[in-house]
Amino acid sequence: MTKLALTLSINGQRHEVLTEPHRTLLDVLRTDLGLTGTKENCLEAECGVCTALVDGRSLNACILLAAQCQGREVLTIEGVGRDGQLHPLQRAFIEHGAVQCGYCIPAMILSAKAYLDEHPTPTEGQVREALAGNLCRCTGYQKIVDAVLAAARKLAD
Amino acid sequence: MSFEYHEPTSVAEAIDLGARFGADGCFLAGGTDLIIHMRRGKLHPRHVVSLHRVPGLDGIDANGSVAVGALVTHRALERHVAFHGRLRALVEGAEVVGGHQVRNVGTVGGNIVNASPAADVTPVLLALDAAVTCAGPEGERTLPLDGFLVGPGQTALRPGELLTSIRFSALSERSATAFLKAGRRRAMEIAVVCVAVRLTLDAAGERCTEARIALGAVAPTTRRARGAEQALVGQAPTQKALREVGRLAAAESEPISDVRASARYRTLLVETLVTRALTRCLARIRDTAS
Repeated sequence: MTKLALTLSINGQRHEVLTEPHRTLLDVLRTDLGLTGTKENCLEAECGVCTALVDGRSLNACILLAAQCQGREVLTIEGVGRDGQLHPLQRAFIEHGAVQCGYCIPAMILSAKAYLDEHPTPTEGQVREALAGNLCRCTGYQKIVDAVLAAARKLAD
Repeated sequence: MSFEYHEPTSVAEAIDLGARFGADGCFLAGGTDLIIHMRRGKLHPRHVVSLHRVPGLDGIDANGSVAVGALVTHRALERHVAFHGRLRALVEGAEVVGGHQVRNVGTVGGNIVNASPAADVTPVLLALDAAVTCAGPEGERTLPLDGFLVGPGQTALRPGELLTSIRFSALSERSATAFLKAGRRRAMEIAVVCVAVRLTLDAAGERCTEARIALGAVAPTTRRARGAEQALVGQAPTQKALREVGRLAAAESEPISDVRASARYRTLLVETLVTRALTRCLARIRDTAS
């Protein structure tokens, strides 16, 4: 098996990675780079906990080959806050008690960010639809939706 | 999963690789089905040929007749302004595929080649009489989508051949389309039944001159209900006539019972959804005309 030498741009930083072709962005993030904020669960693009943003769009890192990310900008939860400050979405999740076990939350925040970046003033229904690809088994979603709507208002100010 | 990885940068190079690897190779588009099938051990190609650096396969040309590149994502389909009028069923089909994460990468060409009997966009394309263009070592050929779908996961694509685009005619005035899907939940759901229809009325708006009815998840492939289509031609589109056409479409479907629904329930859904989708088409035609 020929290994591939990949140059990946993750959270604004360049990383050189030598890896087998079958390894996914999720494998490389968690195992090679130690960026474990991106979670692993179903590995079938159903649960959404592996959500990362590539060129600003949300996708499931569990079914994206790392090789397909060359030349593109990857954003994970580790890159969402700036200069040690939480992103308004992260702050809103804490303030609204939207986090219980926490496993789905990094992905929730990334999906919400991708949506808000394009739709700054969503309705509650739109927020729910935007998060349809992210499962949470604890919260019942209401506080997550409340947090996203609050963050949207904050970001719009 | 274990394979050699290739990134061609032109259609010609992709076809060369396809021809070289034959049945040992697989083209990779969005990967939303392929990677999962490979991980489950259902597919184990020795060579994966990624198409994401091949230019020219992700465009939509809607000036006159419509050409959709095989690598157009569901997201791009949903958002294209040309599909917000008479061709709205394309948006309605695309926007219920998976979540945003899947629609951002999953492609129309991949959806066709994956040949799921429950595909959402394929019935819409069947209702539009779409044709698919495939490129291979022996050149290019264009064939009707109806007939291209052979069985679950099976198409008429030859080993090494690449689906490059999907084409269909623009709709005439007094035409409209509609798509409806029934599932156990509103998002992230494989269709229990889905229905795509296209309806054309005569100049007076009194009789149907053409109808297409395509069904998903009620047969080994997505497919048309031709008897029901025929029965509508020349008829006045009364509620009674549309209900009868729904019954005919239900009689033509051959659903199975599985974990998501019984065959009986699926048959009932076809009847209701076909009537409802045709009613919606009619309203859309009349809205545009008034």
